[in-house]
Amino acid sequence: MVRGPAEVIAGRFTSRLHDERVAAWLGIALGVSFGTAFVTGLISHFMQHPPGWLHWPSRPVNLYRVTQGLHVIGGLATIPLLLAKLWTVYPRLFQWPPFRSAGQAIERGAVFVLVGGAVFQLATGLFNIAYWYPFPFFFTVAHYWTAYLVVGALVVHVANQASKVRHTVMTRPEDAVPRRAFLLTVAAASGAVALATVGETLSPLARLALLAPRRPGTGPQRLPVNKTAYAAGITAVPPEWRLRVTGAVGRELSLSLADLRALPVRTVRLPIACVEGWSASGDWEGVRLRDVLRLAGVADGARVRVESLERYGAYRTSWVEPRHWHDGLTLLALGLNGEPLALDHGAPCRLIAPDRPGVMQTKWVGGLVVA
Amino acid sequence: MNGTTAARYGAYAVGTVLMGIGAYGIVAHVPDLFGWAVWFAGGAVLHDAVFAPAVLLVGAVVTRRPVLQGALAVGGVLTLVALPMVLRLGARPDNPSILPLHYGWNLLIVLAVVAAVAAVVWWRRR
Repeated sequence: MVRGPAEVIAGRFTSRLHDERVAAWLGIALGVSFGTAFVTGLISHFMQHPPGWLHWPSRPVNLYRVTQGLHVIGGLATIPLLLAKLWTVYPRLFQWPPFRSAGQAIERGAVFVLVGGAVFQLATGLFNIAYWYPFPFFFTVAHYWTAYLVVGALVVHVANQASKVRHTVMTRPEDAVPRRAFLLTVAAASGAVALATVGETLSPLARLALLAPRRPGTGPQRLPVNKTAYAAGITAVPPEWRLRVTGAVGRELSLSLADLRALPVRTVRLPIACVEGWSASGDWEGVRLRDVLRLAGVADGARVRVESLERYGAYRTSWVEPRHWHDGLTLLALGLNGEPLALDHGAPCRLIAPDRPGVMQTKWVGGLVVA
Repeated sequence: MNGTTAARYGAYAVGTVLMGIGAYGIVAHVPDLFGWAVWFAGGAVLHDAVFAPAVLLVGAVVTRRPVLQGALAVGGVLTLVALPMVLRLGARPDNPSILPLHYGWNLLIVLAVVAAVAAVVWWRRR
């Protein structure tokens, strides 16, 4: 029998850890982690682009903080799993002939989509949280749609491997291959990555977050900032600033800062929970959004568009659904951590609501438009 | 067709639909399709042609020293994850709350911890 060059290469892999049993356990772990990332990613996507039928709750306050923390820190911890799995199955890249039937060719095609997509998702996700954008596409759009490709290929792959995996993990190995040590090392790598980053969202572990791109408590008024006033093109609070409430209202309002401060002022402790996975709590002082809307005579079921003074940007406005504006924790904040709101945090007035991504906590608010 | 086979074909159908949704979305919403494709295929090619051979080469050099191999693997993957932070490629002069730490030093601390743990494991296995 003639051996192809690829087959010669495949024969050179001497480690007995390149085996089905290791691949099966890593595959199960990857199935769980990619499944979790897909679900939490969909939550984040549909919170920002809600279809009409979806009504995201305003409680528990920290729900989005947890789902997005899981998405990002879990995604980082998946990197060692994926690399270990690819190392384990690497010899199969050189199997000869490459395929023996049309079915096998399709199977290998699906594996290519799975590998390419998985590497793509983890790499672009990592670059995104590091605020580095070397790629020629919008991160959110490409990351979102590529997720369906990956999960689709994953479902096909699971269907192809399920019976083999079930058989493999249900039988006891009869050899002395040190699989347990290998898998424990992979788990240690995942755990180390998670431990060195999770403090950017779990503040009790903040001091351990040596490799996280953010640190809670670091930033103006002890809170990190995603978009500065400079980046938003805002240099100062306009002296003639007023909050205008228009649209489907009983009466239009134009409120000065003094008018706002004449309403009952509350202090709430709420997190900024960023799509990039970090989160940090602050003590926000301001007036309830619902108090302002009631003053304008807004119907209970109305949706409200909060508009920023920013001229450009995908996030210059955000929608507030009834559940969120009825919630007494939803404020138009004027102060943070005992001081008047810093310009980088959206002075003179910003939205802060429970269980909502940071990009939807609109800063430099100039108007409320009721639909 | 028994139950297992039916489930498998059902999964093929679900997977194909999901991949179809993804492919449609990318074609419809990513303007630079070629750029996306370069990144998509590029990750797999870079892994298979550069990264994996490099790892295998290191593995061949430190063969039969499992604790050292493990320490290099854990330290290597931590370095890989930390690299965008260490290089500060995303730093912005207007926003010091982005990448606020000394990531080079921090990575060295983390690697020192990995080395210490590996030394303890090696000592106990002797």
